Amino acid sequence: MRITPKAKQETRARILDAGSRLFGELGFGATSTRDLAGEAGIAAGTLFNYFATKEALAMTLVVEALERGLETFEARRKGADSLSEELFSYVATGLRELEPYRTFLPEVFETALSPFRPSDASRLGGRVRHEHLEMVKGILAKRGSSGPHTIASLQLYWTLYVGVLAFWTRDESAHQEETWAVLDQSLGLFVGSIPSEGGTDHGS
Amino acid sequence: MEANDPKIGDLISELPEDLRGSAEEKAGLERMLDALTHRPAPTGRVLRMWCLGSLQAKLAAAYGLAWLRGSFTGTERKAQLKNEAHYRGALRTLAGMGYMRGAMTKLGQVMSSYPQVTPKQYVETLRALHFEAPPMHFSLLREYLRGELGADPEDVFAEFDRKALAAASLGQVHRARLKTGEDVVVKVQYPGIAKTIHGDFANLRLLLAPMRLMRDWDATMAQLEEIERVLTLETDYAAELANAEEVRSELSGLEDVIVPRMYPEHSTPHVLTMEHLPGVHVQDFMRSRPAQSLRNRHAAQIFRATSRLFHSGRMLAADPNPGNYLFLPDGRLGLIDFGCLRRLDPDEQETVNLGYTNPLDSEQAASVLLQRCHLLSETEMADSERLRILREVHAWYWQPLTIDGEFDFSDPEHLRRGFESSWSILRRRYHKAMPVLTWMNRTFCGTRAMAYLLQAKVNLAQIDREELERA
Repeated sequence: MRITPKAKQETRARILDAGSRLFGELGFGATSTRDLAGEAGIAAGTLFNYFATKEALAMTLVVEALERGLETFEARRKGADSLSEELFSYVATGLRELEPYRTFLPEVFETALSPFRPSDASRLGGRVRHEHLEMVKGILAKRGSSGPHTIASLQLYWTLYVGVLAFWTRDESAHQEETWAVLDQSLGLFVGSIPSEGGTDHGS
Repeated sequence: MEANDPKIGDLISELPEDLRGSAEEKAGLERMLDALTHRPAPTGRVLRMWCLGSLQAKLAAAYGLAWLRGSFTGTERKAQLKNEAHYRGALRTLAGMGYMRGAMTKLGQVMSSYPQVTPKQYVETLRALHFEAPPMHFSLLREYLRGELGADPEDVFAEFDRKALAAASLGQVHRARLKTGEDVVVKVQYPGIAKTIHGDFANLRLLLAPMRLMRDWDATMAQLEEIERVLTLETDYAAELANAEEVRSELSGLEDVIVPRMYPEHSTPHVLTMEHLPGVHVQDFMRSRPAQSLRNRHAAQIFRATSRLFHSGRMLAADPNPGNYLFLPDGRLGLIDFGCLRRLDPDEQETVNLGYTNPLDSEQAASVLLQRCHLLSETEMADSERLRILREVHAWYWQPLTIDGEFDFSDPEHLRRGFESSWSILRRRYHKAMPVLTWMNRTFCGTRAMAYLLQAKVNLAQIDREELERA
């Protein structure tokens, strides 16, 4: 039987929905591909036509959440914001969308965002990294902050960002309020490391 | 660093003569503070707020140092030098605290209400701490408010001003409009500050531990405990909301004193939404060159409200700092902060009221009063110097309450004498007393400091008598 693009799309959405639910309820490690297929109402083998691994499925949830976050960020963007506030807003809107997956993200990120463990999911991890840093570069460029210093600065940025993600996934403070403090201070460090911004972006 | 920031040397030269020390000590102090305040410039708002980058924090550091140094006057030079190292370590720790801005700014605020602060220029400079500090940016605030109120401020309120109206030690204030149309202000606490206060103070105590054998250790610890207690109390906005409702009810009979309406449905333990009062703080009020009669009226309102709460409500609004009073264009007084409300039990009320029946000019009556208030043992009662100093403080308190007619609170000598006699108590470790006396001291020093700022003349004796009779 020929499967229409619409049916494919619906199946894909059902699988993602099943992943979101089961990873949250059972934990990422305890959820098998058989569980996922059962929850989505498809044969176990069919699942692999859509996602090569459950890591890829989980990272797809992440990628799509971050895309939604980006839309919110773009809609809210105000020219008058300082660099650190703009970056804060960018990261925060992404975290909002990732919120439903917070409990199972540590296991996913450990694999997908680790520079030491290339895997199939790491391609999506690489995409997250690339798109995120491109956005940051764009924000910097808009303010005239580009040039040879950017590579080192971006590496520092990514290290801080992943650190904030790690902190956030385990943040037990009310409404993850401590994450906001960590994020703001981390961005302060980053902005301070940029020669053209250091010492000038006081967020006034 | 802002171009108009004061230099460390300026701050040091502002210290009282007896705390400034020799030229050599001054140079050491200058180097120490200079090193602390010339760390790499912090960049993010929160980071800047929480580091020694702001005028407020620097001033507080200078006062913190003065306070610590003052606790050890009279010790040997060698011991002093040793302690300098500890001061330095203590200040470094403070500088490294995640939320030190809150603690340090509050420290500065509390000190401005405390007896250590005597010179006029101190009081005036520290006033800035009460309502001038850099705010957190709106993106951070939005995320925090979303967690607290369940939705973005733009969705919860019909209008929400992105720019903070004021920022102080533990939170910042934004103007907003409710969807039902009311103008409000929303006080938002800095994220995580309540949780960190205890840890910060525990670290500070640990760091100061090598000084525990010094003579004023107990007094130093008592001061720290008091500051921590005040800070912790003031972080509970749910309690503040309940306090405000109680004060509002108690003062409902005073037509020219207004307590803003609270909005519990838009409040949490970290967010407090209240009616906006269209008033100005004391500095702006005084800049408008108000008539003597209006200044007197406002000071009388402050005393009347304080007396009403004390006698009828059996409570002390123990944080009477200038940031907590608003002067409205129609001549009313607005009270806007109730984080620090101390209730008196009947025993405490009876003891503190002993002064009405035991005047200080009678030796026997004064002894009874001092013994009860200061929990003095027989040995302590035999210490004539102690009794003399305690009596001085009580005499200062009672002076405007016993003079029939207007008392001139603009006389700096009155304020200075009150601060100095209280300071003598601390210096000589005579601070043992019913705990409520500390709060009374803060309340009455604070209200008189307000009357001084207003350069007012008030018949306090009459107000107090009327309120006592009413109760």
